[in-house]
Amino acid sequence: VTTTSTNTDLEAAEAQADAAALERRTSPRSDLRQALGWIALGIVTAIGALRMDRLEQQDINPYTAPGLLPGLLGGVIVFFGLLMFYRSWRRLSGSPQVLRARTAVDRTEARRIGTVLALCIGFAAGLVGHGLPFWLATAVFVSGTIAILQFTERTARNQRLRGFAFALAVGLGTGVATTFVFQELFLVHLP
Amino acid sequence: MFEGLRMLGESYLGFMNFWSLAYGLGGALLGIIVGVLPGLSATLCIALLTTLTIKLAPNDAILILICSYVGAIYGGSRTAILLNIPGTAANAASCADGFALARKGEAGRAIGIATSGAFTGTLFGVLCLAMFTPALAELALSFGAFEFFWLALFGVAMSGSIVGEDPLKGWLMGLLGLLVAQIGQEGLYAYDRFTFGWDELSGGIALIPALIGAFGFAEVLTSLADPIERKLIDMRDSVLPRFREVARYWRTVLRSGVIGVVTGILPGVGEDSGAWMSYAAAKAASPERDQFGKGSIDGLMAAETGDMSAIPGGIIPALALGIPGSAPSAVLMAAMIIHGIQPGPMLMIKTPHFIYDVVAMTTLATLSILFFGLFLVRPLMLVLRVRRSVLMPIIFVLCTVGAYAIASRLFDVYAMLAIGVGAFFLRRRGYEMAPFVLGLVLGDLLDKSLRRGLVLSDGSLAPFFTRPLCAVLAAVTILTMLMYIPAVNVRVRRAWSEAKRFMFQRSA
Repeated sequence: VTTTSTNTDLEAAEAQADAAALERRTSPRSDLRQALGWIALGIVTAIGALRMDRLEQQDINPYTAPGLLPGLLGGVIVFFGLLMFYRSWRRLSGSPQVLRARTAVDRTEARRIGTVLALCIGFAAGLVGHGLPFWLATAVFVSGTIAILQFTERTARNQRLRGFAFALAVGLGTGVATTFVFQELFLVHLP
Repeated sequence: MFEGLRMLGESYLGFMNFWSLAYGLGGALLGIIVGVLPGLSATLCIALLTTLTIKLAPNDAILILICSYVGAIYGGSRTAILLNIPGTAANAASCADGFALARKGEAGRAIGIATSGAFTGTLFGVLCLAMFTPALAELALSFGAFEFFWLALFGVAMSGSIVGEDPLKGWLMGLLGLLVAQIGQEGLYAYDRFTFGWDELSGGIALIPALIGAFGFAEVLTSLADPIERKLIDMRDSVLPRFREVARYWRTVLRSGVIGVVTGILPGVGEDSGAWMSYAAAKAASPERDQFGKGSIDGLMAAETGDMSAIPGGIIPALALGIPGSAPSAVLMAAMIIHGIQPGPMLMIKTPHFIYDVVAMTTLATLSILFFGLFLVRPLMLVLRVRRSVLMPIIFVLCTVGAYAIASRLFDVYAMLAIGVGAFFLRRRGYEMAPFVLGLVLGDLLDKSLRRGLVLSDGSLAPFFTRPLCAVLAAVTILTMLMYIPAVNVRVRRAWSEAKRFMFQRSA
């Protein structure tokens, strides 16, 4: 009975996650905002291209001006952005979108995204290449990430210490193995 | 012709040594492991291995990359069968029938069919690679700036149209890729574009870090953001390849092989389209079409043969034209350039033996996946039991090393981060990365071809539309995009059906 209910819960959670993903991908309201973003990008690109030097003093052929393709790309991006804006505006005016209520799964997901982003950017932009040996930076990042992501689950099982030990072992193993394989075996320079 | 056969024989003999076999098997094994892991793509695998193999001899490095490419697409079928999640995008078509077979307790049989379909499909593709690459390269010698302009644009437009659910978003991603490719010094006058006085940007956004960001970091974020751990189906029956079923479904295998190679050759279309088109064609022709989606052997065979034969198919235009057929072949092409081999029409003139070396490498890759399909299916499944929270931080470390090691610049790591974060949020909103990659790779070619073409024609646009190949490519590209507009779509379909009726009435 427990297995069946677990499977049903899992399937329900999967279905909920799939519905949220579908809404994100196809929501006309979100598409409308994205269209404005694309139009802005296209306009900025076209202005940037127009302001590029035409190299007239070098007597170059005017058809080879550096801003030619960027300018065209900017124009086409604006065109497609307008098309997207028109499409989502028509969809929205046809049937106003009923937004799905945020669930606990959504909130957990948003928290996880924030945590993982902070950890990854912290490692690649903060720890690496700023004096700390690569193996140590890797060990700190991998151990920390595993410990944080598994913290709730380990706590619920009363395995907090075991979880930390496991995370530390994997982190140290990864740091040493990566450094050995890349630097010693394949002679690749590490940050 | 005999010269070609001689070079092919020499290439095969050249790889008959311990180290080549070890590199081939190692590359395929790594590829299968990456392919088995949901979300990690063949593109990421090749990009990461390009870094690892940077100090190896060119032929050894390319051998590893090709074997990992073939291995990754093959490995992805196992996740599709056991988890109902495609290991790589190319295996999505295998999910329906593969997972249905697994639920019936025939997971091993499904994996055996996938192995035999993959082996036969890749072998068929290799045959086409050997036959058509030299011919296409010779033909491409007559191409000028006008043709290359349209080939580049056609690749980006097709990729945007076919990959993903929304062509408009696909085209926008293609344009974004083309735009990012314009950053840095342009190729004709070394003029800095969009660098904002930042020296690091003068060199442009390097392809490998960008791809690692788009496919690696974005996938790490996607995978770790998902709080649900999916369930794996147990495998109890035999996993040995079923070549008797290849013989039984020979029509499907042959049809899917041809479709796969053709979709591979089309710039920007790739393996996933090869699988879906083969699957659709098999469904239309199969006597057991009602079984499709419910565990059809025919369907699984078609999907697996289609995506695998598209691999050598995608390498054909990359070698002969310098225009990749798919995202992974774009990285492969970039790796070739890093190792001093310039793909394109001149390849057949400067280093003709390299084309045959690639044929031999792909054959070795095919044999490697058969070897692992025969002997190492169950142990390799253990990798699926590793928790995402353990695996993904390690993958991110590899992404960081991969982005840094090509040029030893921290700037590339920051570019990887920026592109990865952007790709993550764009993917969540339905934007596919394949058109972006194609745009990034073809941006420089498009820019140079446009400007050279305009100089040659003294500013006239006429040659861009009147030269025979240009006219065909322009018509297909513009029509593909116009078909997106419902009013045009309806009118074109109506005109097409009227034309067909008129033709049949006349012939009757």
